[in-house]
Amino acid sequence: MDKLVLENVSKVYGVGENAVTALDNVSLNVRAGEFVAVVGPSGSGKTTLLALTGALLQPTSGAVTLNGQSIARQSASALAKFRLEHIGFVLQSSNLVPYLTARDQLLLVAELAGKRDRAAQQRVDRLLDELGLRRRHHHYPEALSGGERQRVAIARALMNDPDVLLADEPTANLDSVRGREAVQLLAAQVKNGAKAAIMVTHDERMLDLCDRVVRIADGRIGAVTVAAPR
Amino acid sequence: MFLALRELRHSRLRYGLIGAILALVAWLVFLLSGLANGLATDNASAMQNMNADYLAFQSGSRVLLHRSLLPMTTVDVVRQVAGVHDAAPLGQFTITVERAGSNDQIDATVLAIDPASFLAPKITQGNGLTNSQPNGVVINRTAQREGVKLGDALKVLPSGQELTVVGFTEGQTYSHLPVIFMNIPQWQALRFPTTGAEGIPTNPISAVAIKMDETAATTVAQQVSGVEVASRETVLQNLPGYKEESGSVTMIQAFLFIIAAFIMAAFFYVLTLQKSNQFGVLKALGAGTRFLARDLVGQVLMLTALGIVFGALLSYAVSAIMPAAVPFALDTKLVVLYGGVLLLVALVGTLLSLFQIAKVDALVAIGRVD
Repeated sequence: MDKLVLENVSKVYGVGENAVTALDNVSLNVRAGEFVAVVGPSGSGKTTLLALTGALLQPTSGAVTLNGQSIARQSASALAKFRLEHIGFVLQSSNLVPYLTARDQLLLVAELAGKRDRAAQQRVDRLLDELGLRRRHHHYPEALSGGERQRVAIARALMNDPDVLLADEPTANLDSVRGREAVQLLAAQVKNGAKAAIMVTHDERMLDLCDRVVRIADGRIGAVTVAAPR
Repeated sequence: MFLALRELRHSRLRYGLIGAILALVAWLVFLLSGLANGLATDNASAMQNMNADYLAFQSGSRVLLHRSLLPMTTVDVVRQVAGVHDAAPLGQFTITVERAGSNDQIDATVLAIDPASFLAPKITQGNGLTNSQPNGVVINRTAQREGVKLGDALKVLPSGQELTVVGFTEGQTYSHLPVIFMNIPQWQALRFPTTGAEGIPTNPISAVAIKMDETAATTVAQQVSGVEVASRETVLQNLPGYKEESGSVTMIQAFLFIIAAFIMAAFFYVLTLQKSNQFGVLKALGAGTRFLARDLVGQVLMLTALGIVFGALLSYAVSAIMPAAVPFALDTKLVVLYGGVLLLVALVGTLLSLFQIAKVDALVAIGRVD
């Protein structure tokens, strides 16, 4: 089943002479349990693709369907609610809230959904333990290493049990060993949780962990590589 | 409030400092209100506590007691007017007295009354005025600080007439001076030492204190010749220095409220700008503007309320150790009111930050906004 479908999606910024086409007639399907890497030079449209699939932006034309639901013509608050329920973001490592402990970073997601109950707390503890943060529940981001922070970010993205997992340069601030660990964790979560996942990355060393690599240049999708079976 | 509480706890120094500034501002507001209240009481508590609704003065006296002179007969004329419940004569004069056996001079305001009328002061110690003891006086308790005791003889300067303290009352000051209550004839003897001077009515008094409803006030002004009528509140506002004292303090307070609003606006605006990226991330995670706004407002309310409580505690502490001679009186009603105003202006100050929060785009979470 395709969890994430982009059909002939275009995104144009600005109008008239200033118009810039960031994405040009892009189509992409991601199945449940499939981990897709999107690579390309800067300015190629990677970020726009991520913003569209993450319901942060609306396409100029074409349709974005997440888990069978179109994001077209929705209000900002409806989109926020949609993100809260269906999408997990793993952002660059600096994007944890500085005054929240690892545990509270995750609890925040439950609070946003209005479901900060005992079950949510148990889920938080389980997720943190699962991601190897057993002794880090009550640490602030400043006291965590880069790898630990990224694992907290992954745990936070999983907190709402999302249908779609989106990662924006998850290895940007990590050394290759820690980076690989983080992506392996992501890949495992995608498989076990039957989630559709897209990872935007520069890091070619991580591509073997993905099911499919989509190359994007000048707003168009180029060659699609299917990773060799491992 | 999930974020608000945790942020306050995590950034204690930052929020502690702004809370301290607020506490200081609140403290100053409360101190000033206590001072204004104290000054007003010190100036004219006799007028504030007077058991009369209106006063009738001589025309052209601009409702100033010391300028007004009326014949005693006016009291009866006023009493006849429809709607008037009661009327009583009032005399006023400022004197200097000397306690027998000491050289200390005490300034005081004389209020002359009919001992049987509704103007008779409440006695806290000793006895009230009587017609049988013409030189007996009741004096405000604050004179005790000057050493005045029951039964003391007071010599009026420079004439040398003797008064005897028969009782004490409280809450009776006028022109920042303690009030000495005495009989009308005694007052007339002090006020007009030579008889038959020009322009002085027979059996004179200063004014007529009246108990009546508002509707009767115009009737009195129309039907009684040679008088102007004013409510007690108007008389109070017209007292020399009264408006000026409260006016200047009120102006300082108004500035403090504005300053408090700006402090909160600037502080939280800068913080909000600094956290723009963070708000973007939170929005990307699915936090609505309303959630973030509620958190900010909660944070501001909590911080301001804490500041106000500390400011109030400090004010009551100061009030407790203030020497009795300082005109300072905290009114709890006013403390609550001004605390409320501070809370309100703090909220107004956050509007700027709320707009900023609403403006933040979730796209900043993935960097590069186009």
